[in-house]
Amino acid sequence: MGADFEEEKDERLAALAAEGDRGAFDALVTRHRQAVYRLCWSATGNAADADDAAQETFVRVYRSLPSYDPARPFGPWLRKIAWNCGLSVRRDGTAGVPRIAEGDAPEAVDPAPGPEEAAAGNEERRWVAGAMAGLPAELRMVMVLRAVEGLSYAEIALAAGIPAGTVMSRLSRARSRLLAALGTRSGGGS
Amino acid sequence: MDCRETQTLLPAFHDGELPAADRVRVEDHLRGCPECGALLADLERADQAAGVPDPGPAYWDRFNARVMDRVGREADGPGVTVLRPKGGWMRQQLRYLVPAAAVAALVVVVVRYGGMHPGVPVPGVPPAVSEPAAPVPVEQRRTDSEPVSRAAKKAESTEVARRVPPPAVARERSADVARGERDRPAGLSLPAGNVEASRDRAVAPADSAPATVPDGTPPKTRSERKNAPGATAPTAEQQAAATGTSAAGMRIAKEAAPDGHGWPGAGTGKDAPGSAVPAGSPCEMARTLAGRERFREAEDAQRACLAGKLPEPAREKGLVFLAEMLDRQARFADADAVIAEVDRRFPQSRSLDLYRQQRPMIQKRPTAVPVTR
Repeated sequence: MGADFEEEKDERLAALAAEGDRGAFDALVTRHRQAVYRLCWSATGNAADADDAAQETFVRVYRSLPSYDPARPFGPWLRKIAWNCGLSVRRDGTAGVPRIAEGDAPEAVDPAPGPEEAAAGNEERRWVAGAMAGLPAELRMVMVLRAVEGLSYAEIALAAGIPAGTVMSRLSRARSRLLAALGTRSGGGS
Repeated sequence: MDCRETQTLLPAFHDGELPAADRVRVEDHLRGCPECGALLADLERADQAAGVPDPGPAYWDRFNARVMDRVGREADGPGVTVLRPKGGWMRQQLRYLVPAAAVAALVVVVVRYGGMHPGVPVPGVPPAVSEPAAPVPVEQRRTDSEPVSRAAKKAESTEVARRVPPPAVARERSADVARGERDRPAGLSLPAGNVEASRDRAVAPADSAPATVPDGTPPKTRSERKNAPGATAPTAEQQAAATGTSAAGMRIAKEAAPDGHGWPGAGTGKDAPGSAVPAGSPCEMARTLAGRERFREAEDAQRACLAGKLPEPAREKGLVFLAEMLDRQARFADADAVIAEVDRRFPQSRSLDLYRQQRPMIQKRPTAVPVTR
């Protein structure tokens, strides 16, 4: 069953799910959950809210499937919902403001490596996550979509609802701020 | 190509967005320029730092089950049809009661203590005003801070449901009914539009019934009230009715405009022309229809409103309102499109930010609407 779905395109799975096929919907969730979580994290800047938003995203996707047009690509539609959920889910009403002080985000990092490596690795990750969480949400979003998801400027522009030129300028600002946070020389570009 | 031009193109080069010809030129320059090469390495380093902490396999193991559990509860739960009416009566009541109570309080204080007794210190809010305001903190707590878990939120909304209608709403409503009985001449049959409106309400979701129980009696219209002999400064109730924001106000608006001055498009064929459609501009009508939980028609009216000439701030808010109307019809994808348009046309829109904060609660009606018994 699951193997059948692996071959299917997103749009086909969405159409099946809209007809009530829970297996197809489960396959869609499995396929996209990590990307959705990362986008939600970029909107919220912390793991707890990212989890809420990611769950909410898929529930909302399920509800909205009847209105989804399979002729249109599924990815941008999903990303738009995920981003909106991420912005909406901030319980304290301060979407875009990083909330890293409690150190909640990196604590959940996969603890698989050995003792000392894990400690060093977690420290590194905590540091990196702190640098990312310190960015405004709209900068985090373009960074995650570009550097983690590998989307093109056009795809990011579509997801964020902004012009491609704005994507470039936000990327440039995000990179500069990350580099400053990482203590290296300022990034190139305009 | 010099360093300056190369550094301008470097991000696009790094992201693979550069046309082939420029790409070759940048590569040529990089071969002989360690300075620009270091900047390229910095871009790579920044991207390395862009990682998102992964919650780990245990989290992902449970992720699908949690989603499917929520989806299953929505799709299969026996109470779902009751729990997912459009609009959610309770939320609607509290949503409109809060500003109405605030307006009422202001009017009473101004009328009673403002112009008439200059110099007399205001002795606090009269009980008649403070009572309607009582539910305010409950709603605010739910919409603003939200530090509670979802389960707690659900319990809280159920608790709110048990407590309402608040005394003021009940009073307003019973006064409205009484007024209707009083004003209706004996044996007067309902106008066609009101029959339609009643029929409309009869098919409304179960939980909206308390708000829209048809008494079949049109109270005096807004204009009639305004022109009635002996009319003086508006009472709190009249104010609320005029704004169409309280339960009573919505009822009054619902029965207004029997003379056919309403916007013709708002009825969408459901109501007889000009009968159950309130008077006013499409923009006003959209609000009134929304208050009546007729979101489909409110959407039409709002679209007509937006088709007109509006100042940009009004357009921004109007689009956000349209998105809400779509969300309330569970047309989330359409609402997303409108929100994207607001994003595009009004970057940093405060109205949209506020709506985004409320949006999950508007969309998540099942957890907020009480089961009616």
